[in-house]
Amino acid sequence: MATFPYYDAGALQALGAQADAILGLFAGRGYVHEEPSVLQPAEIFLDRSGEEIRRRTFTLTDPSGRDLALRPDLTIPICRDAILANRKWPARICYNGLAFRHQPGEPHRPTQFFQAGAELLGLEDRTAGETEILSLAIEALRVAGLKDFSLRIGDLALFNALVDALALPKQWRARLKRHFWRAGYVESLLYWLGHGDGTAKLPGTKAEIEALLDKQGDAPAAGRTRAEIIARALDRAAEAAALRLDPAMADAIAKLLDISGPAEQALAEVRALLKTTNINLDVQLAAMDARLATLKSLGVAADRVRFTAHFGRNMEYYTGFVFELWARDKEGPVQVAGGGRYDTLLESLGAKQPVSAIGCAIRTERLMAAKAVA
Amino acid sequence: MLSLAIPSKGRLKENCHAWFAERGLVMEQTAGARGYRASFAGLPDVEVMLLSASEIASALLAGDIHLGITGEDLLREEAPELKGRMHLIKPLGFGFADVVVAVSQYWIDVSSMADLDDVCAAYAQTHRRRLRVATKYAQLTRSFFAQARISDYRIVPSAGATEGAPAAGTAEVIVDITTTGATLRDNGLKILDDGVILKSQAQLAASLTADWDAEARKACETLLSRMNEAPLYSALSAEFRA
Repeated sequence: MATFPYYDAGALQALGAQADAILGLFAGRGYVHEEPSVLQPAEIFLDRSGEEIRRRTFTLTDPSGRDLALRPDLTIPICRDAILANRKWPARICYNGLAFRHQPGEPHRPTQFFQAGAELLGLEDRTAGETEILSLAIEALRVAGLKDFSLRIGDLALFNALVDALALPKQWRARLKRHFWRAGYVESLLYWLGHGDGTAKLPGTKAEIEALLDKQGDAPAAGRTRAEIIARALDRAAEAAALRLDPAMADAIAKLLDISGPAEQALAEVRALLKTTNINLDVQLAAMDARLATLKSLGVAADRVRFTAHFGRNMEYYTGFVFELWARDKEGPVQVAGGGRYDTLLESLGAKQPVSAIGCAIRTERLMAAKAVA
Repeated sequence: MLSLAIPSKGRLKENCHAWFAERGLVMEQTAGARGYRASFAGLPDVEVMLLSASEIASALLAGDIHLGITGEDLLREEAPELKGRMHLIKPLGFGFADVVVAVSQYWIDVSSMADLDDVCAAYAQTHRRRLRVATKYAQLTRSFFAQARISDYRIVPSAGATEGAPAAGTAEVIVDITTTGATLRDNGLKILDDGVILKSQAQLAASLTADWDAEARKACETLLSRMNEAPLYSALSAEFRA
């Protein structure tokens, strides 16, 4: 696809017909069709998504000096509006529109593309929500006319539960979770925890830490409170003593993160590996089994579903179940849809309470290209 | 004609003159050019322009000049990927400075990039906004923070006096250039143990996007061999072929 796509009459008609089919399906399931504006205040993406998405977001300054962005996705502005408008939960919202992304180092990839998607916000029953969205994504591909596709699934909750089961200081658990989506980095952290040495650089008592702070003269607090610094310094002192992971345990987790393959077989491997440790992930594994059953009931053959333990999508707001749908276009494998759970996004956008959220998005132009090959 | 740009003022300018003089090349001001043009005695095909250090970096990237002398920090900030755009011919042994990540000395619990990563994440949660990094080196900062796996921060562009940003409350962390670290210390800041992004010095650099016609190549070869640096031209011409 071109860097600056041009849509001729035929392409517009085909994309329009496909979008109508997909939106028709969404509407039949109670999803209301909406669309946020293309130009958005820049900070809602930049404050939320971090520097990595910032690198891929087109930003501009309006004549009054306000920072704006071309929406890099529709999920964030839709969720933001749902909060501002005080929507009743659960809310079911669907969309079809352009998203814009700079492609650093890959100038041949398109800078804008159509996305059709659905967001299910505030449904208490998480399992029901996941089944609903997963089914919706699969049926959307089918109603658009794509017959053959495969899935990749994963669950960040599995990894989080694994990390929570480790006898590690709180900050280290947070650090491992935060970096879950960077596979190689997590492995090196694990190795360090199991085989490295953690030596203390800071004094261990509150009084000593306070004395050290008092010695810093006029150095600016730079946005952090004294209490914040003392609390973290105490944590660091405590963790330096505790920072040790049984090497066998660290290696088992690294091995577990490496598991990837046909879902049923891969999950059996996970279970076998967990038996060698004292970690119990029954709840998370049962949820995975339920998703596989859903896929089976939708008529997706078992050999078309892969489970990847370290799969976590490199959009930083996903928090639980994640999935990708893959097909082939004339150049090879291509991701045509994806989705997952993002339970912390709404709160970070200003919701007063946690709001459970799950959604999916379909790359409709890629879908079109994949259908052309099939 | 071969165009060569050198810094128009300050110690960098003096160092450039001295560096060429040591190699037997005497620079002469061009009459009537108000001090912005010069030439080398005996090298009529080399036109010397005096520009600001940052203009030299952008002129090299744009291909407006063939050769330029300026800080490596400015070159790498201007062109994060040098390949195919610029060729660093030779580090010149002056204009030394480090681009570093610095935080307040009050942050006694922060001494490494890993600590900063923790603090960035905690800050985003506690304060509901991202920690701000003031810098004029946005590109260098982005790639260095990405290597350190830090994403919970945002860059605040800084035009000058970056070291004052934490005290002024316009940013929590800075990325800035330092030679002795004295200015940072005076402002209550410290460099992180693994926070040196780039050890910079003045570089003689060639633009690979400029129009290198036969005349310019010949003049460049002559210039380098007059300075007894002929092998450097072979390396550069290999880049032309690539």
